[in-house]
Amino acid sequence: MIICRCEEVSYKELATTAAIYKCSARELKLRTRAGMGYCGGRSCRTMIDKIANTSASTQDRAYVSLKYQPPIRPINFGNLGGQNK
Amino acid sequence: MDNAIIIGSGPAGLTAAVTCAENGIEVIVIDEYMLAGGRLLGQLYQEPNGSWWNGIKESTELYKKAVDLGVKFHLNTAVNNIEKSNSLWVIYTEKGEFCTSNLLLATGAAESPIPVPGWTLPGVMSVGAAQVMTNVHRVKPGERGVIIGVNVLSAAIAMELQLAGVEVACLTLPKMNPITEDAGHPRKVLNSLLHVSHMAPSPFVRYGSKLMKNEFMKKLGVTFYPKKGVKMWNIPIQLRKAVIEICGENEVEGVKIATISTEGEVVPGSEEYIQVDFVCIAGGLYPLAELAAVAGCPFYLIEELGGYVPLHNERMESSLEGLYVAGNITGIEGAKVAAAQGRTAGLSIAHRSGVKGLESSIRDSIEMTQQIRNSAHIQFHPEVEVGRKKVLKQWEAYQANKRREVI
Amino acid sequence: MTRRILDHPVLGKIENNNYVSFIFNNKVYKGLENESLAAALLSHGIRTLRYHEDSGSPRGFYCNIGHCYECRVSVNGQSGIRACVTPIKEGMIVESNGPLQPLNKEDRRLENG
Repeated sequence: MIICRCEEVSYKELATTAAIYKCSARELKLRTRAGMGYCGGRSCRTMIDKIANTSASTQDRAYVSLKYQPPIRPINFGNLGGQNK
Repeated sequence: MDNAIIIGSGPAGLTAAVTCAENGIEVIVIDEYMLAGGRLLGQLYQEPNGSWWNGIKESTELYKKAVDLGVKFHLNTAVNNIEKSNSLWVIYTEKGEFCTSNLLLATGAAESPIPVPGWTLPGVMSVGAAQVMTNVHRVKPGERGVIIGVNVLSAAIAMELQLAGVEVACLTLPKMNPITEDAGHPRKVLNSLLHVSHMAPSPFVRYGSKLMKNEFMKKLGVTFYPKKGVKMWNIPIQLRKAVIEICGENEVEGVKIATISTEGEVVPGSEEYIQVDFVCIAGGLYPLAELAAVAGCPFYLIEELGGYVPLHNERMESSLEGLYVAGNITGIEGAKVAAAQGRTAGLSIAHRSGVKGLESSIRDSIEMTQQIRNSAHIQFHPEVEVGRKKVLKQWEAYQANKRREVI
Repeated sequence: MTRRILDHPVLGKIENNNYVSFIFNNKVYKGLENESLAAALLSHGIRTLRYHEDSGSPRGFYCNIGHCYECRVSVNGQSGIRACVTPIKEGMIVESNGPLQPLNKEDRRLENG
């Protein structure tokens, strides 16, 4: 069953990796590439958090600074380089 | 004359734009979609008095009103980033940069996914996607489909699909796994449906729900829940079945459904195959707050509001100066509440820009929002009030902390 | 047989009948001017918009509001364009993107630790 649609990372791969390394969501992303695909993790982010949390301890999630890295929409190099202006 | 920029042209954004413009503020509205109206566009349902709430009509009216008041729209424009520079907010888009001292984030909600084996096949879509295709673009998502995930939104959209001549074979649950959790558990789903049972057109379902209120009765209800499901608006709702796989070689061709126990466990050997050409996934809504996060807003996880909510007060101010939030980004509630919040945000912005005499209007708008909330026919979460109180408490705590730091 | 809901019991008849032609994977199709590319293709029963860059598995739109990027296609030479938020225009040239060819089979996946 696919969890990260963009990178086609399966639930099995994520659960196994989380169990072996007992890692945070961020480490899970780095190890499997889940959440690092084209959509910027928008589709699978909460699912990865859930999988990571079932392995590690649940921290106090009441107050968080949600980590989102701009740009939050893909920009192509042409635009960055001013090609279309 | 000050200006304001609003990101999101849904009911909250449009109403805020109109309110600002009415008070002499120059407004620009940015939206990545090709039409203004947000999720309001696809809404279509019958009110208790029999009249139809037509989302396209409502958004077109609001849009026209805004345009007539001089509001400038930049549609099909995606925002990449927002940053504070001196006392101005800079908005970075693929089509250039914008600056303002008053920025309103009204980006609404997004849908949570429910993973099911085979869900990446063409023909599988979120339930909102089906709504947009059917009501906004007027194209059928397919001839016959199954909706996975039983909740207010999926039930409403099932009816909308049927109205448009699309066959909905059934509304059913996903197979329970660590990701799907409550969505696959019959008793928990039944729980969540009880607060919308007043909407049921069938007297049996309505009367039956009255008896359901205590735990023991719920357990019994789920145990005896007919295996054939109960029909609501002529669509079978199956709480004792779950989709275990979506099948097809290159596209959706069918689904495998199995009977489940009251605890959500698959009964071995009960699998059957249903032929469908599309599948909708209804995982529920959560606030789409990426831009608020990028700006540095603190967030709180409030289940009653649908997920992580940016810290804000009743005047729709965030904890960052000049940054406002309104609509589903503040918590999932629906178009009418969103519009009322948009109005409050618009008034707050006008007030901050120096327009005099708005204090009582702001207070009225806050009260109006509460009234609309109380009389809402559809509620996404029964404890929304509790959620709102939690946010306000956090706001007060945050302000108290800030004052202490200054001392 | 059309997939268009030409007449709806509450929303009424579709008033727009300004059809334009566009090209998808070298074939010509017609759609209503300014409707989304995804809707125009769906009206012809086309739901496969691209193939996954690695596995080649067929993909179509999922969220339909521009969040998931599953519906990305090339439009007039530019890739990464979301079919669900892009209005069709007369003469638009649209192409599906397919699996990328790796230089070296061993490079395809980073090993897991």
